[in-house]
Amino acid sequence: MWRAVSGARRLLRPLGAAAGGTPRAVPPPPRAPPGPRGGCAAAGAGAGAGALEAAAERRQAADTVLQKFNIDFVVALLRQENAKDICVIQPPPEIKYCDYFIIVSGSSTRHLHAMAQYMLKMYKHLKEESDPHTQIEGKETDDWLCIDFGNIVVHFMLPEAREVYELEKLWTLGPYDDQLTQMTPQSLPEDFIFGLTANSSDHLETRT
Amino acid sequence: MALFNRRLVLSLTHLSSAVLQRQFSTTGACRAIQKLTRVRVVDNSALGNTSYHRPPKCIHVYNKTGVGKVGDKILLAIKGEKKKALIVGHKMPGPTMTPRFDSNNVVLIEDNGNPIGTRIKTPIPYILRRKEGEFSKVLAIARNFV
Repeated sequence: MWRAVSGARRLLRPLGAAAGGTPRAVPPPPRAPPGPRGGCAAAGAGAGAGALEAAAERRQAADTVLQKFNIDFVVALLRQENAKDICVIQPPPEIKYCDYFIIVSGSSTRHLHAMAQYMLKMYKHLKEESDPHTQIEGKETDDWLCIDFGNIVVHFMLPEAREVYELEKLWTLGPYDDQLTQMTPQSLPEDFIFGLTANSSDHLETRT
Repeated sequence: MALFNRRLVLSLTHLSSAVLQRQFSTTGACRAIQKLTRVRVVDNSALGNTSYHRPPKCIHVYNKTGVGKVGDKILLAIKGEKKKALIVGHKMPGPTMTPRFDSNNVVLIEDNGNPIGTRIKTPIPYILRRKEGEFSKVLAIARNFV
């Protein structure tokens, strides 16, 4: 399915790599400078050891929660909660939205709510006072919840909603997404007036 | 004689483009989106994209003031039915270093907050992320950000 298209732009984390719940054998590389991603991060960290370590330490001191509450921790939590179809996407840095975009499925509404509450509880447990608060969005819905942790965004959906919205396709394929291309080109409404600038707000302007 | 007059008038109108047959005056946007504002639905929902003889209009703004800015929920009258929507851009200039759009853009959402469409082609401002409210779903189905 769409997982086969992972080679398109950004890599997807290997899902079957670690057994459920156990921590990974190789510790995650430190928050190296944003150049290398994924597999080549290890090589990058080994190469420029001295200067990079000092910079990484300073950065680590700055955002402590996001070090402890990083992507591996989140994925381990989700596996522990029996979340199905965990999909972690790394959007390209041009889309300055988040570092990791996670979509998980649950078996029922209660399952989704329980996962979201547990995730929020762990975040609150680990965060310092200076870190921003987060809220669960979509508590009134029964098929789509999401939490925005700043650099990580997690979406909890039921499988039916996941099929309808197909967020994985949008975030991996980008402009080649089929739903986007199927959208009819939008035309402006007939009463659209072009060229009205903000400077003319003080006086009446005669236009055709 | 009449022909000469008409030709004179036509030549005058040719010279000054400000005076033409149809003429009405407009101001720049003074208030962003309020009741009876015509809006443009920018997602790919069927309700927003099928044509109707009347444009979708705002009939209520869920706000203390009756003026809706980016990130406010409004009630729209579309195709004879009422639907909630989220404002994602307006023609009125906002705070500095925030984008100003050429049309009042709106995304249809359900009462529980789920978006009705599945993709948004027009750019969505990043300031939605900082605001208090449930915008992550709209940001998740957006393609371009501004």
